[in-house]
Amino acid sequence: MTDDSMQSGPFGALLPVVRGLIVGVIGFLLGGGATVGAATLLGRSAWPAEAAISIGYLFGLTGWLLGVGVWDAWARGWFGLPLRREEVHGWPRYFRFTTDHKVIGVQYLVTFVALFLLAGLFAMLMRVELAAPGRTIMTAARYTHVMSMHGIIMIAVAVAAIIGGLGNYAVPLLIGADDMAFPRLNALSYWLVPPVAVLLVSTFFAGGFDTGWTAYPPLSEVNATGQVLFNLAVITFGLSSILGGVNFLVTIGRLRAPGMTWGRLPVFVWSVFAASLISLTATQFLAAGLVMILLDRIAGMAFFSALRGGAPLLYQHVFWFYSHPAVYIMILPGFGIALEVLTHFSRKPLYAYRWVVGGFLGIVALSFVVWAHHLYTSGMAEYLHGPFMATTELISIPTGLIFLAALGTLWMGKLWLRTPMLFALGFLFNFLIGGVTGIFNADVPTDLHLQDTYFVVGHFHYTIMGGMIFALFAGIYYWFPKITGRLYDEGLGRLHFWWMFITYNTTFIPMFWLGMFGMNRRIADYPPALGPVNLFISVSAFLLGASFLVFVFNMVHSWRRGPQAAANPWRARTLEWQVPSPPPEGNFPSPPQVTGHPYDYGVPGAVHAVVAVAGAAGPGAPVEG
Amino acid sequence: MRRHLAAALLWAALTAAGLWAARVDLLPLAAAREAAIIDEAFRLLLRLSVPVFAFVLAVLIYSLVRFRVRGEPREEGPPLFGRGIVPWVWLGVTSALAVYVIFNPGLRGLAELRANPTADLVVQVEGSRWQWKISYPQYDMTVREVVLPVGRRVRFDVTATDVLHSFWIPAFRVKIDAVPGMTTRVFVTPTVAGSYEDSYHLRLQCAELCGLGHNLMASPVRVVDAGGFEAWVARGKSR
Repeated sequence: MTDDSMQSGPFGALLPVVRGLIVGVIGFLLGGGATVGAATLLGRSAWPAEAAISIGYLFGLTGWLLGVGVWDAWARGWFGLPLRREEVHGWPRYFRFTTDHKVIGVQYLVTFVALFLLAGLFAMLMRVELAAPGRTIMTAARYTHVMSMHGIIMIAVAVAAIIGGLGNYAVPLLIGADDMAFPRLNALSYWLVPPVAVLLVSTFFAGGFDTGWTAYPPLSEVNATGQVLFNLAVITFGLSSILGGVNFLVTIGRLRAPGMTWGRLPVFVWSVFAASLISLTATQFLAAGLVMILLDRIAGMAFFSALRGGAPLLYQHVFWFYSHPAVYIMILPGFGIALEVLTHFSRKPLYAYRWVVGGFLGIVALSFVVWAHHLYTSGMAEYLHGPFMATTELISIPTGLIFLAALGTLWMGKLWLRTPMLFALGFLFNFLIGGVTGIFNADVPTDLHLQDTYFVVGHFHYTIMGGMIFALFAGIYYWFPKITGRLYDEGLGRLHFWWMFITYNTTFIPMFWLGMFGMNRRIADYPPALGPVNLFISVSAFLLGASFLVFVFNMVHSWRRGPQAAANPWRARTLEWQVPSPPPEGNFPSPPQVTGHPYDYGVPGAVHAVVAVAGAAGPGAPVEG
Repeated sequence: MRRHLAAALLWAALTAAGLWAARVDLLPLAAAREAAIIDEAFRLLLRLSVPVFAFVLAVLIYSLVRFRVRGEPREEGPPLFGRGIVPWVWLGVTSALAVYVIFNPGLRGLAELRANPTADLVVQVEGSRWQWKISYPQYDMTVREVVLPVGRRVRFDVTATDVLHSFWIPAFRVKIDAVPGMTTRVFVTPTVAGSYEDSYHLRLQCAELCGLGHNLMASPVRVVDAGGFEAWVARGKSR
């Protein structure tokens, strides 16, 4: 097969994916078959379906990765085989094991926006069921599965959409690097994601899983086989997250352009650095917990099975030891984007920059010692309540510094209310509600009532959706001209913001009251008296869901037919705006020379960097957009 | 200076409006001493969060009105870097607030809830998918509803046979997980007579996802006077 033929036609473009699928299926059959064969030889009478699936999956995942690009990227050179050199341009790049960070960023972004919309559809189904008391469209079993799918897919989106998408795209550009430190590892992180999506969707054919995204045992040890697929998916996703974390830490640590000191690092880069510290060091705990559940299920071990001497409570500690820090993996890059956008669109320096960085690192440190605030009602030793309440309340101090910076930056600024700025301001408002309601959950007395109710649902949707997702949209609109080389439609952007902002708030504000008023979470049915409020929430939610149609239309239409974007339509000072839109492969013809702070708006004669690019803006100079 | 004054006035107005709105009671029936403690903590946190919320909102609204530029800004704002005293003051105020909240209502409420580890009545609660088994060891009775005498301190000993469940009576505000292999405890002193028929908050609701029948896993709760409780026990015994 020649390289030319690989590029011709849709089949050629999809060849690596097809190859990965074929090798993956062969691997799955080999692994699964070997497991069944071994069980037969050992005289096991029961059909070892879950063991065969798990071991088959390990082989299948390996096959998929080798087929899709790992073999070509690593093994060929290592074994001295002839290398495949191919220049792929245009859309087929996005279906390849491509190492360009900009391609990988777009791969992540499009994949996770699609997953966001899919999980949003699940939310719509949930709201149809909850629109009226009693059964509406689903059995309780189906509802619980749909709810669990919504949960875990949204968690994955929250973990990876900003870091994987905008982080991959923007971080190397922002620090003046030509790529990530480990480009092939970066591609590997992305290509670990499709198996996760396939596994999760497959749960519909394996009895589903009914444990939410938290997978608490003993339920997760006795339910349908879908749980096994869930565990394998999340373990795989965790691996992707860890590899991404290493890559960002090394990239930011080692590949900064000359003069890009830690004190001059754009705030979004700092936020990705902080989040990566957590993904590198905490994700293993979740994976370990899920592996222990798998071993309980398929190998007869008893980590969490009380009936066989295990400890169900142990899992909750292990789980939250990752999963609480994980909310900061989600929200820290959101802080970064919001502050980045607020600064450029206020035309002022980022207020209290060094305090913000201190706040980020303070959040990272504290995030590891707050996990048991999820366990106030779990039956853990009561003397732990006080200390974990204290550490949890203290995390409001570094978080408060983010608000100081945001408000200080807005104050006396020249506010330019374009779509990215609107989303950043929406982020501030929503996250404020998320933060304040978090105090009620952190406080043990009030949490005894609120734990496991819709109050908690409202709280985390305010932090993650109102916060992280609003920041994601701020970032998508902000970098859209850079990524696509085209301008999005501003009118549609504003329409999307106001539509989403209003319906978002009318959807989630009433949930606080529902929780206080006795509606527990994760239920397909509720006391009839709560019907009217639930109907109101459902109608709001459908309107909220419809707002994303405006977004999708704007993105698709503008990417294809939008007006050409200049290099720097926002007249922003950071490095990515000093190269053409979209940036060429390799980003910068020679490393930029960084000589000053990125946010010195209003400082006469301040220069962030000297970037040698023909035809692009001078350093920090205004460019007509 | 005028700018600061205007924003401060807006803050004061928003705070006043918020405190006025926070007087609306959004909490359901409170039928136990513990519920009173928890509701008091809730209201205190609500009152404390109003000025914090209002501060951010005031600065946001003021900035949007006052500093908004129509069209593309041609000039840049003053370079305020936040290197002076302001961040230290901010740090001091937010730290003081956080520490205050830890002690009040946090630790104070906890101390009140745990002040009395004795009980007049012990009720054993066992969760299995998807129903509660309620036993009164002092009377050697096992029933399907929770009946409690008003004004008496009750200890619930909670456990589960299969998966996690959670013991929650919204009108009492307390919640504790039912864990297989463990017995967890919660103390309640009911203060108001009533039943599930009067208020659906008087129900023992499972609050931890336990599979198919999770949302249906609830038992009625009835709080009666001392005489009514004795009569109920006697009726149960004679059966």
